[in-house]
Amino acid sequence: MLIFLIVFGPFLCGILSWLLGRKNEEQRDWFVIAVTGAELILTLLLLRGGAAARIPGILAGGLTFTTDGFRMTYAVITAVMWAGTTLFAKEYFREEREHLNRYWLFIIVTLGATEGVMLSGDMMTTFVFFEILSFTSFTWVIQEETPGAVRAGYTYLFIAVIGGLVLFMGLALLSFAAGTLSYAELSEAVAATERPELVMAAGVCILIGFGAKAGMFPVHIWLPKAHPVAPSPASALLSGILTKVGIYGILMVSMNALFSYESFGFLVLILGVITMALGAVLALFSINLKRTLACSSMSQIGFILTGVGMMILLRAVGSSEGAGTAMSGLMLHMVNHSLIKLTLFMAAGVVVMKIHVLTLNEIRGFGRSKLLFKIAFALGALGISGVPLFNGYLSKTLLHEGIVEGIHECARYSTALSVIEWIFLFSGGLTFAYMLKLFICIFVQKNRDPKRQQFYDSDRRGMDMLSTIAVVGSSLLMVVLGQPYVATHLAAFMNGYEEILHFHAFSWENLKGGLISLSIGAVVYLLFVRKVLVREDSYVELWPAGLDVILKPLCRAGMFLWTCAVRVFDLSTDGLIRLLRKTVVREKKVKGRKSVHPGLLRTMSAEISGGAEPVTSNFTFALMMTCIGIIVILLAILLSWRGWRV
Amino acid sequence: MSSLFLLLPVLFPIAGAFLLFFLHFPDTDDSKRNRYTEVVVCLTSVLVWISMAFVSKQPVKIYSFVRGFSISLGLDGLGRLFAGMISVMWPLVTWYAFVYMEHAREKSKFFAFYTMTYGVSLGIAFSSNMTTLYVFFEMLTLVTIPLVSHYKNHDSMFAGRKYAAYTIGGAGLGFFAVVMTTLYGDAGNFVFGGSLNGGGTATGLMQTAFLFGFFGFGAKAAVFPLHGWLPTASVAPTPVTALLHAVAVVNSGVFAVTRLTWYIYGPEALEGTYVQITALLVSVFTLVFAAVMALRERHFKRRLAWSTVSNLSYMLFGISLLTTQGFVGGTMHMLFHGIIKMSLFLCAGAFMHVTCNEYIYEVNGAGRRMPLTFLFYTLGGLSLTGIPMFCGFISKWNLVMAGLQADTPWSLAGVAGLIIAAFLCAMYTLTVSVRAFFPSAGTDRYEGEQGIREAEKEMLVPIAVFGVINIVLGIWSAPVTEFLSKIAAGLL
Repeated sequence: MLIFLIVFGPFLCGILSWLLGRKNEEQRDWFVIAVTGAELILTLLLLRGGAAARIPGILAGGLTFTTDGFRMTYAVITAVMWAGTTLFAKEYFREEREHLNRYWLFIIVTLGATEGVMLSGDMMTTFVFFEILSFTSFTWVIQEETPGAVRAGYTYLFIAVIGGLVLFMGLALLSFAAGTLSYAELSEAVAATERPELVMAAGVCILIGFGAKAGMFPVHIWLPKAHPVAPSPASALLSGILTKVGIYGILMVSMNALFSYESFGFLVLILGVITMALGAVLALFSINLKRTLACSSMSQIGFILTGVGMMILLRAVGSSEGAGTAMSGLMLHMVNHSLIKLTLFMAAGVVVMKIHVLTLNEIRGFGRSKLLFKIAFALGALGISGVPLFNGYLSKTLLHEGIVEGIHECARYSTALSVIEWIFLFSGGLTFAYMLKLFICIFVQKNRDPKRQQFYDSDRRGMDMLSTIAVVGSSLLMVVLGQPYVATHLAAFMNGYEEILHFHAFSWENLKGGLISLSIGAVVYLLFVRKVLVREDSYVELWPAGLDVILKPLCRAGMFLWTCAVRVFDLSTDGLIRLLRKTVVREKKVKGRKSVHPGLLRTMSAEISGGAEPVTSNFTFALMMTCIGIIVILLAILLSWRGWRV
Repeated sequence: MSSLFLLLPVLFPIAGAFLLFFLHFPDTDDSKRNRYTEVVVCLTSVLVWISMAFVSKQPVKIYSFVRGFSISLGLDGLGRLFAGMISVMWPLVTWYAFVYMEHAREKSKFFAFYTMTYGVSLGIAFSSNMTTLYVFFEMLTLVTIPLVSHYKNHDSMFAGRKYAAYTIGGAGLGFFAVVMTTLYGDAGNFVFGGSLNGGGTATGLMQTAFLFGFFGFGAKAAVFPLHGWLPTASVAPTPVTALLHAVAVVNSGVFAVTRLTWYIYGPEALEGTYVQITALLVSVFTLVFAAVMALRERHFKRRLAWSTVSNLSYMLFGISLLTTQGFVGGTMHMLFHGIIKMSLFLCAGAFMHVTCNEYIYEVNGAGRRMPLTFLFYTLGGLSLTGIPMFCGFISKWNLVMAGLQADTPWSLAGVAGLIIAAFLCAMYTLTVSVRAFFPSAGTDRYEGEQGIREAEKEMLVPIAVFGVINIVLGIWSAPVTEFLSKIAAGLL
């Protein structure tokens, strides 16, 4: 019952808020805050004990919901994210009030759909709610209706539809190969299947389908476009939760179905590593605050996927200890990244609502005098960079530990894994470098326009009460989750791997990895960012736009050729008729008369064609007459020849 | 009740339509003619429901030409599905047509043929052997030609002729199959599971006859290469494109192929033969090909017509799989696609009626003025793509599962084709919605234009009814699945 309230309540409340908003916008704003607050309380109530629920018979096979440590944690995190962004949105939308009713309708409905995914007990339920949130979140991207937003919206929709259908395919394959989609029965069913290659194919489809939402390479292209154009509270949700919905799906299928498929694990690992490195590089080059954060999200998703890949690899070779470490690392990193991006995107929202620009050169010096804002942003930055004592450090250390275990355990891949370890550390370094770049730009350097700097300095708070609660409150979680005691207990609660409680977070071995990463980051910042990306004291855009230039014409050309081909097929029948008219059944012009058909036929033909020049006048008519003739003859035969036998 | 009762729903609308010719309602006097037409159509639907409730399963022979070739009517499961589907749709769309055709000329003629088509379609549903089916099939072509050419301009005359050439030519091919199955089968009577040749594989000649029948009757289901008439025919008035070219006529093509495949030949006779493979490959090719054509089409209704071509081949694919799941998937898609496409066409028609525009680029911003119409359009588009919560998902899921379970290279190719076509489907339906609701700055075509608002309630109500059915069946499809499984088990 509680689960139904959590999942379906928001659907109802979304519609209520829409109706309320048509009457009174102020009341609607308080109503949605109340709804998200109530949702948070309900999900916390869920923690009291596991529950399962089921609605049989609807859709293709009924909906099932279930709870465990991981699901409950993410149900709570989802509610926290929504509550935080809703509080913050009250101030954010004070001036831009256009289409706000639509925005809230879809925000609240998506809350229900997201909780539906997080609490789903079988793959079909996950899929249903996943598709709902795919389409409802489309309106977040397009909310501001600028040309950029519409373009990003199309890309988002395109990827969402492809993802959804590939996922559909994957589900069908898995359901066919295993005979069930229930998470509880899947592992046994997959172990007993006679068609492992179909399970693998299903896995790849599902990986791409969910990966599209997670922002995994190569279906990441929507992410750097969509996050910057959405309103900041929505960006926080897109980045903090919707990407995690994708990860959730990948994780569920990896843990329940494909855990023994080594090659699948390696595929996830490779895609994860590419996403991780690519996102970090893109973020380093970007000179737009929200785009940097979006690319950073992509990179962090890469970290998590690397963890997923390591978990499958280690489990496939039978190292439960290594798999447990990787699993704890990736689950913690999911939680951490959600909360970090909540803080950082809301911080970016503060910038947007005050000055409506996002490029680094213009927002330079914005936060110099705003102490609370500075602290909140710094905590987020420290968390994501993996500085010891803050939350990102622990999860990244665990992920690193997982890779190191892998080098020892997976003999086949040990060389590849050694390379991956270094890419991992390097990407971690880049994370530190771009966060340092942002922090120094916004909070340390002065704006080149002194008047503007004065304007920036005149506002010492930057936020009103509700926003401060949301931003600072969420940033404090970085410190809380940075404590090994809290983090390891959370990890153990989420995945039931108790040994993680004895993990020595600050042993020299573990500190060393973090420190290598941080020093790489410092070096990159000093030698690359300061020397190359800053020219004459201003940040410059150096990332080549060439990729888009190559890819787009290629797509266009492909589509063009394809449509040309089908056009030929389309014309094949009519074309045949035309060809016949030019050759075999050609009309001859006889003394000014157009057609050689005499008498009745010609008259009837003209009657039907009504004077208009048809493509097929003769042929069509002849065909019709032939058919009628055949019918008449046949009827005559049938009626007269009674003695016919077969 | 004897099956003879079935004559009543078939003949009643035809007689009513003939009377409409003689009653001479002037073009200016809408209300009387509308009332008369609606009463005839509704009474016919009531007659259909009465016969579905009370008529016995035993078919009755009405007239015999010669031994074997006879006209006989009966009502079995598949006929129930088809008759039930159109009996719900016809009154609603007729109501919609009253408003849509307000300013057209020769309304008496239009509604007479429109009502007559109802009776003929019911005849197809009720026919219980190949000869009867064939007779009604030809009649259907003849009574719908005036509807396609109703506007009598160059385009619609051309469309009418093209339609006639393709479908009559197609029926000519089908005739071969009719004669062969009547002479060498069980007198062409429909028996679920087929009655040909005592159960073995069909002989070479009979296989060829099947191919003739598949393409011949498939011409009405717009199977490649006989698909050309359907997009051209979308110049017809919207009630015609919606009800006839998305449901009644095209589905009668699928219906006839189903009869031929499942009720005459049967799975055993065709399983694994080259004709089955041909049928599968042709339908898979058509469904992908038509989806691409839909994507490049700029005309709103013609785009939907291409999408119909694509979706009809989904059904043919399901039918030609020759498995029970395939049968269920195909017939289910017949029903669900009818509902979805009806709602899409009616929305397109409402848009065209209100704005007098007919191209996709003219949709920009229309959703702001006609939110309900385009909301239902979007729901229909999502459903057609196969998004869960809508009925299109259920039938696509069944088709994909059926394709996988058949587990031959051809059926797997079909599954891949289904997914690709579904993706293209999302592109060609949803881009319209995005244009309607979110025109990017400066492209809103109706900025400051007065008088562009929701259509009259006579148009909105049918749209809303189909939209709601779309969602309800999407969430709760168990009754339909059960009913179709019963048919597939030979119980109905």
